[in-house]
Amino acid sequence: MNMLDCLTELYGVCAIADSIRRGEVTAVSVIESRLERIKRLDPLLNCFTAVLEDRAFDMAAKVDAMVAGGRDPGPLAGVPFGVKDNYDVTGRVTLAGSIINRLRAPATVDALIAQRAAKAGAVLVGTQNMDEFAYGFTTENAHYGATHNPRDMARSAGGSSGGSAAAVAAGLTEFSLGTDTNGSIRVPSSFCGIFGLKPTFGRLPRTGTFPFVHDLDHLGPFARSVHDLATVYDALQGFDRHDVACAERPNEPTVAGLEHGASGLRVAVLDGWFQDMADVQGRDAVQKVADILGAKGKVTLPGTQRARAAAFMLTATSGGNLHREALRSQAGDFDPATRDRLLAGALMPADAVLQAQRVRQDYRAEVLTAFRSHDLLLAPATPCTAVLLGQPTISVNGADVPTRANIGVLTQPLSFIGLPIVTIPIANGAMPIGVQIIAAPWREDVALAAALRVERAGLAGAPMAEPC
Amino acid sequence: MIEEEDVERLAKVAGLSIDPAHLPGVLTNMRILLAQADYLMTPPIAAEVEPAAAYRA
Repeated sequence: MNMLDCLTELYGVCAIADSIRRGEVTAVSVIESRLERIKRLDPLLNCFTAVLEDRAFDMAAKVDAMVAGGRDPGPLAGVPFGVKDNYDVTGRVTLAGSIINRLRAPATVDALIAQRAAKAGAVLVGTQNMDEFAYGFTTENAHYGATHNPRDMARSAGGSSGGSAAAVAAGLTEFSLGTDTNGSIRVPSSFCGIFGLKPTFGRLPRTGTFPFVHDLDHLGPFARSVHDLATVYDALQGFDRHDVACAERPNEPTVAGLEHGASGLRVAVLDGWFQDMADVQGRDAVQKVADILGAKGKVTLPGTQRARAAAFMLTATSGGNLHREALRSQAGDFDPATRDRLLAGALMPADAVLQAQRVRQDYRAEVLTAFRSHDLLLAPATPCTAVLLGQPTISVNGADVPTRANIGVLTQPLSFIGLPIVTIPIANGAMPIGVQIIAAPWREDVALAAALRVERAGLAGAPMAEPC
Repeated sequence: MIEEEDVERLAKVAGLSIDPAHLPGVLTNMRILLAQADYLMTPPIAAEVEPAAAYRA
């Protein structure tokens, strides 16, 4: 481990940016270090679909020139980051983990929130592996291979933003930008043992990303500490009229309130489905977080199983609709696991789709009622710790069920109604597991402040992994 | 219980053709989805609850 690795392990995004802004280290040297680490470790992990070395050096040199000229490059100065393969990157075709997209035109600009990260000084070093078209929870991609979990190479990094999460866990990038439709930020955060934020639906514009399910798709960051996560998130905020779902709200920065925002919160543990579908390790992790946050009581949401079913239905049918033409003309070019689910979704009756949308309204009202008497709700992020690559089934609530379809049972009902959620990693056995800190709409600040309290208490943490 | 012949018929109506080699996988996933659809239908939802054309949290 070289000196910079020690620095990033201890301090991450903010320490690197501060050191560069103070002129103690150059952005180019940081990028050299990261690229060396990527060259050494990515052949083992398969986090990246492309490493953009020339571009990264160019951007880092611009950051250094700003510092030399007495200008502030921003709060993410010189910090290396990656984006999921479904983000537009100038001059590159946005593949979204597929080969079908190869005939699309190259992007003419970066995805908007990647632009915002760069405007804050961050340096894009590459695009990162994912399940094809984001339809999966394991990042076992038939075209580009599986991403390995840096905390145990035999295990999955989770998905669908698995390359992004694994890269952060292994210190290949200091933060990454992913997407979450049904759990694709929270599941890999849980499996890789890092922090992830899925903001409120409509908070971050999806402009310049390849869609999966338009009314479920969220963007968000991964990092190895809460402060880093909040710093990145603050740099990404802002309305954009090109995303019809983006809410026209003022920026609501979170970093300033992190230290004191967790006092006096009314916290409860989600019971019922959220306990039944988790294993002992997940339930224990939630209880430990609950103890630190002073949680009182439990909340049961009777409509959760139906909400999960509705999310499952909308995902398959919307995805089937989105890819209908390719399913008709290029079915053989899909990852088989993706193709069969999309085709099944394309054949579902309209009745089921409309009912799923009505279930969403019903469940949303039920959950918002719970937030009248609580500020935060807690639940495990995954039913178990990271599964083995290729593992066909997992045990959930006493039954062996297919792995890929069921890893998201605890995340799907919540993204389905757009709530902001911070996933925090709890070391509670051989592998970490994530706990979801769930807030009312637009209260990312509260969830992040609570996450910081758990991190400060020493329960949550994301040490840099050294895969071997 | 839906069978492969039903999948083929539905696909034809929908203007999709499914390679025979892909039919078993599509059938498996249709059965999973239809099982989920059962959860959606009961208990009934009040008639006043609208589908969300554009959802905002």
